[in-house]
Amino acid sequence: MKEGFRQAMAWLHTWAGLLFGWLLFAIFLTGTLAYFKDETNHWMQPEIPARALNAEASLTLAQHYLQQHAPDASRWIIGLPDARDPGLKVRWQQSAAKPGERGQFTSKILDAQTGAELQLRESMGGEFFYRFHFQLQMPYPWGRWLSTIAAMVMFVALISGIITHKKIFKDFFTFRPRKGQRSWLDGHNALGVLVLPFHLMITYSSLVIFMSMVMPASILASYGTNVRAFYDEVFPASNVPEKANQAAALAPMAPLLGKAREQWSGGEAGWVSVNNPGDANASVVVSRSGSDRVVHDFGSAVTFNGVSGQILAASPQQPLAMAIAGGFYGLHMGHFAGPVLRWLYFIVGLAGTAMIGTGLVIWLGKRQLKHARSGVMPFELRLVEVLNIASMAGLVGAVAVFFWANRLLPVSLAGRADWEINAFFMAWGLSVVHAVLRPGRKAWIEQLALAAALFAALPVLNGLTTPYHLGVTLIQGDWALAGFDLTCLATGLFLTWAAWKMWRAGATARLKKTPRETARPITLEQGAN
Amino acid sequence: MLLALLLCYAGFTALCLAMPRHHDELLGGKPSRRRRRGLVLAGWLLLGLSLWAAVSSKDWGLGLVDWFAVLMVSALALVLLLPYRPRLALALAGVSLLGSPVAAWAMN
Repeated sequence: MKEGFRQAMAWLHTWAGLLFGWLLFAIFLTGTLAYFKDETNHWMQPEIPARALNAEASLTLAQHYLQQHAPDASRWIIGLPDARDPGLKVRWQQSAAKPGERGQFTSKILDAQTGAELQLRESMGGEFFYRFHFQLQMPYPWGRWLSTIAAMVMFVALISGIITHKKIFKDFFTFRPRKGQRSWLDGHNALGVLVLPFHLMITYSSLVIFMSMVMPASILASYGTNVRAFYDEVFPASNVPEKANQAAALAPMAPLLGKAREQWSGGEAGWVSVNNPGDANASVVVSRSGSDRVVHDFGSAVTFNGVSGQILAASPQQPLAMAIAGGFYGLHMGHFAGPVLRWLYFIVGLAGTAMIGTGLVIWLGKRQLKHARSGVMPFELRLVEVLNIASMAGLVGAVAVFFWANRLLPVSLAGRADWEINAFFMAWGLSVVHAVLRPGRKAWIEQLALAAALFAALPVLNGLTTPYHLGVTLIQGDWALAGFDLTCLATGLFLTWAAWKMWRAGATARLKKTPRETARPITLEQGAN
Repeated sequence: MLLALLLCYAGFTALCLAMPRHHDELLGGKPSRRRRRGLVLAGWLLLGLSLWAAVSSKDWGLGLVDWFAVLMVSALALVLLLPYRPRLALALAGVSLLGSPVAAWAMN
C-alpha cells in the first residue's frame, strides 16, 4: 500500500514536472533575474545618474517641474529615488475630457539632483523579466492564469517530490559528480532539499499573491508599492476631498515627508501623489516605501491637505489577514533585501531554476538509455530533447540577446522598447529551429557556447557603445552598473564551462562506443560461421 | 549575517561528519558512537546559535529571513565543495569556527 502510494507520487512528480518543467524553468529564471530589476533597469538606461539621496530636495524639484509642465493635471504621482532606483519619476494624469473617462497619463524621469528631464533610450529594462515571469507575454488574463496554474503544478511537484525522495536525511549531504545519471539525480535532490524552504515559500507565496492578483493584478504592476493610488482612483470619495474648483497655491511638499516619517517611526516615503493640484481642496498622499520591512503593507500612507499641510488621514494598522498576505508578498518580492540578502535570494533562485533544469535532463536521460543501443530516438523523446535545449540553453541565450539589443538598437528607433523584446523572442524562436536541425549534444554545445560568448562580450559591448564601462563604473563605485557587467562576465565563464563539460562528456562517450562498434561485426561474423 | 553564516556552515559540517559515510570520506574510518553523538550535538547547537545570531541583531522578521537564507546557502556551499574540494570544505569549517568569535565581537 505504502509503496503503491509512493509510486503514484513518483508518477505524478515525473509527468507534472515534465509537462510544466519548461514553462517553470522560464518562470524561475526570469523571476530570479527580477530580483535585480532595478539594477537591470539602471544598466539598460544608464543615462539616469546615481545621485546622493535627498528625498526633500528631490520632491521640491519634482514639484517645480510639475507646476511648470502639468499645472492643470488632475493628479501627479512622484516616485522618489532610492538606493537601487536613482531616477526621480514623475507621472501626471490629464483631467478627463468627459466625466467617466480616464485622463491620459504622461511619464518622465528627472535627474534627482538637478531636476532636469532626462533623455533616455526607450527600454523595458528589468521590468520585462518581472512582467514575463507572471504574465508570460500573453494577453490579460491568460498569462496570469497560466502562471498561476504553473505555480500550482510546482507545488504539487514539490510535495510529490518530497514523498518520492525516500532518503532525505540520509542523503542530505550527498552529491556524487562524474557518475552520469546518478550525479544528475543527486544534484536534483540536493538542490531540491537544501533549498526547500525557498521553494515552498516562493511557490506558496505566488499562490497567495495571485489570490488577490488574478483579477486586480494590473494594480501592482502599474502602481508598484503605491497601491493606495489605485484605490484612490476607484473610490476617490473615500478619503480624498472633492475638487473645490477654487484656485489655491499648493504648499511646498517637502516638509510633509518629515511629518509622514513621524507617523511611521522612521519608515521612508516611496511615492507621493497629489490630487487636484492648484485647487483649494488639493490633497497630498505620501505612501511608505516597502523596503524596510518584510511584511508588505498594501497602502500604508498619510494624507495631507495640499494647501494647509494638515494631516487629513493616516491609514490604520493593517488587519492580521492582510498582514499575513502582506508577509508572503514581501517574502516573495524581497523589496526589503539589502545587497547581501538580495544576492542570496538570487543564488537560491538560480538553485531553484537549476533544480527544474536537472529534473528535465533526468527525465530524458532515463528514457534515452533504452534507445542508446539503436541510436534512433523515438519522436516523443526527440521532441522533449528539442524543448529541453530551447527552453534552457535557448532562453539563456535570448536573455543575452535582449541585453545586446539594448546596446545596439538605435536610440531613435520607433517602438525601441518593443524591438528589444522582439529580439528576445526571435532569438528564442531561432534556438528552437537550431535545436530541431542539429543533433542533441551538438545543439546543446553550440547554444551554450553562443550564449557564453554573448554574455562574456557584454562588458566589452557596453564599453564600446556607452561611456559607462567597467573602467569608469568601478572607479566611481557605481556598483549596480559594475556588478551587472561583472555578473555577465561570470555568467559567460560559467556557460563556457558548461559547454566544455558537455563537449568533453560527448568525447568520452564516443571513445567508449568505438570499441564496441568495431567488436560487433566480428561477433556477427562468428555467428555466421 | 556573517556570524550566522559562519555558525551555520560549521554546524552543517559537524552534522555531516556525524554520518559514518561522510566521516569516512573526509577523515577516514568510522566515527565512534561517542564522537557521533558529540558531533550531532555540536551541529545542532551551532545551528541554534546561528539562529540566535541572525535574530539578535535585527527584528524577528528580517532575522528569520536572513537565517533561512544563510541556512540554505551554507548547506549548498558545503554540498558542492565536498566532492570537489573536501579538504577546503573542512578547512572552511575550521576557519568559520575560529572566525565566529571575531565576527561576534565585530557585531557588537
